[in-house]
Amino acid sequence: MQITSRIMPIKSPFEASIAKPGQGNVVLSLLPPSNPTLTTLTYKYPLKLLTRTPGYVPQSSALSCPVSRPVHLYLLTYGGGLLPGDHIEVSIKLEQFTRMVVTTPQGTTKIYKTEPSRSVKGRRAPGRVLSDKSRQTLDVRIEKGAAMCYLPDPAVPYKDSRYEQVQTFTVDSTTKGSQRSSLCMLDWVTEGRKSRGENWDFHLWKGKNEVYSVDESGKKKLLLRDSLILDEELDEGSLEDEHETLNRTGVIRERTRPHGIVGTLILYGPVFERLANFIMDRFTSQPRIGARNWSSSAPAAVEAPPNFDSKVTFTAARVRAGFVLVKFGADHFETAKDWLGNILREEGTVINEFGEEALCCL
Amino acid sequence: MITKSSPQGLEKEILDLEYRLQNAKARLAVASGQEPSGDSYLPLPQDTAPLLSSHALFLLSDSALPLGSFAYSSGLESYLAHNKPLPPKITPTASFHRFLKLSITSMASTSIPYVLAAYRHPEDLETLDNDMDASTPCVVAQRASIAQGRALIGVWERAFRGTYASGPFSAGVAASEAAKAIEDFSDALKSCSDAADDLGPKGHFAPLWGIVCLAMGMDARQTAYVFMLNHAKAVLSAAVRASVMGPYQAQAILASKGLQDMIMNRIDREWDTPVEDAGQVVPPLDLWVGRHELLYSRIFNS
Repeated sequence: MQITSRIMPIKSPFEASIAKPGQGNVVLSLLPPSNPTLTTLTYKYPLKLLTRTPGYVPQSSALSCPVSRPVHLYLLTYGGGLLPGDHIEVSIKLEQFTRMVVTTPQGTTKIYKTEPSRSVKGRRAPGRVLSDKSRQTLDVRIEKGAAMCYLPDPAVPYKDSRYEQVQTFTVDSTTKGSQRSSLCMLDWVTEGRKSRGENWDFHLWKGKNEVYSVDESGKKKLLLRDSLILDEELDEGSLEDEHETLNRTGVIRERTRPHGIVGTLILYGPVFERLANFIMDRFTSQPRIGARNWSSSAPAAVEAPPNFDSKVTFTAARVRAGFVLVKFGADHFETAKDWLGNILREEGTVINEFGEEALCCL
Repeated sequence: MITKSSPQGLEKEILDLEYRLQNAKARLAVASGQEPSGDSYLPLPQDTAPLLSSHALFLLSDSALPLGSFAYSSGLESYLAHNKPLPPKITPTASFHRFLKLSITSMASTSIPYVLAAYRHPEDLETLDNDMDASTPCVVAQRASIAQGRALIGVWERAFRGTYASGPFSAGVAASEAAKAIEDFSDALKSCSDAADDLGPKGHFAPLWGIVCLAMGMDARQTAYVFMLNHAKAVLSAAVRASVMGPYQAQAILASKGLQDMIMNRIDREWDTPVEDAGQVVPPLDLWVGRHELLYSRIFNS
């Protein structure tokens, strides 16, 4: 993939504070007359941020006001994943009326586990069987009229890995109607490397997505919190166990059955209103569960024609403050990917407003 | 705030233990056929204080408490529909046991932090209610939680407040703070409109349970335990009505050591969890509960 960066050599006021490894800072501004520009773009190893401004101009938009060209931000890490102890901290600010697409061009986010025996050459510190947690935080501020489309690849936690991510989005609550901030955000996690027989074999995966609103006085209010905790619940005793392999509790597998991937899609704001309605309709028009065909003598339930919806178990709910929350589970990553990609392409909002590239992970 | 090591609390505990010791001795005497020596009657406890909080406990654990909990199956009905037909090797009872375990685990991880936070910080009730609302992923679960929460406020105001908010049964400073907080919250609830887009107070069950228990002098442990036990009762009662099992079998599960241990274990795990870290540990449960609306026929509201 050809990635042409348009990084401007602007001296950032945050330069001094960005010295910590894994930190990144992005500010997208709209310079007059209508020129989206990254006024800040900094990052430190092992994080890498690349951007490009594709020539795509939204042809027709849900918004009546003129919309700016979306800027594409690629989230990359060395090795395409996170090692134990890696902390990634990305802060993004979308100033008024800007648009950003965020994707992960390296494919799935791998959550690695380094084998203690390999790294310490046979000598293992007692009681240190668990690897360090890797951690990723994403803090996004979306000002009024701005929109973010964040459709990454899923996280793939390897066997015995431990990972935590916190994604915080702050939207502007001072405006109503079509000037509100917009957000489309996907968060999904798989059972691991299926090809290697992994089946929810990691130790910990914690994912939290929060959306806050902030008013003129800077007062924050929690609008939505989506928190998933997949914890093998290993107690202290099993950690100090000298055996090579820990006794697995298998609780994550038990609690996710029958799915091999679970995920959440969050939709908010005027840009995604049509998509939100589309998915709500799709959900409510699913065939009733347990419906019987009374007209025939056959007692069997009416079988829905096989389609994507029948392979993916999902719910969609208009929760509050205009949010539509979609939750889904499927047996394979590919099934979920096809299902979601199919919905987003069929409906068209994402492609119309952000261009085909916004769907590159789907 | 009542702490576990306060002198009054310890005195109460000692009295309670003495009473139970006497009781056990008397029962041992009867069981082993011995002539009760001397006093053949059980002595009355010297102080009725230990029974005060027990009385509140009995009221709040009563399945006749009018919260309308019988209308909700907490996803059981949808779970049964989604797992039909069962694989040949799995019995309906085994399948139900799986659901009960998942449901209790999930209820503890999503709600116990809110129950305990409201108990420990009654002044934060409105924030807790907002955050709980923000964390409830579907309208079905939201409806169930709000209906029971508002019913609990109703029971408090119409039935319990008269006895527990003042007078000899008031359980101290923390309890009267809690009573005040419930009143403020109830006023806010009544004055806010019911518009769908409104972000005002909702009346979620978990935080209100914590604060009402505080107002009635329950200790934190009891508060969490009864919350979980009532949830288990509601699921089992739904199982009986959904013809998964008979009433005796349901009572046997309710009485079992397995269930007690499970509840204790989940409460221990969530005892110090801040509300910010409350979350779903059983992702398919959100799907089952959310898809309850898609069931062709329903006997429950959730």
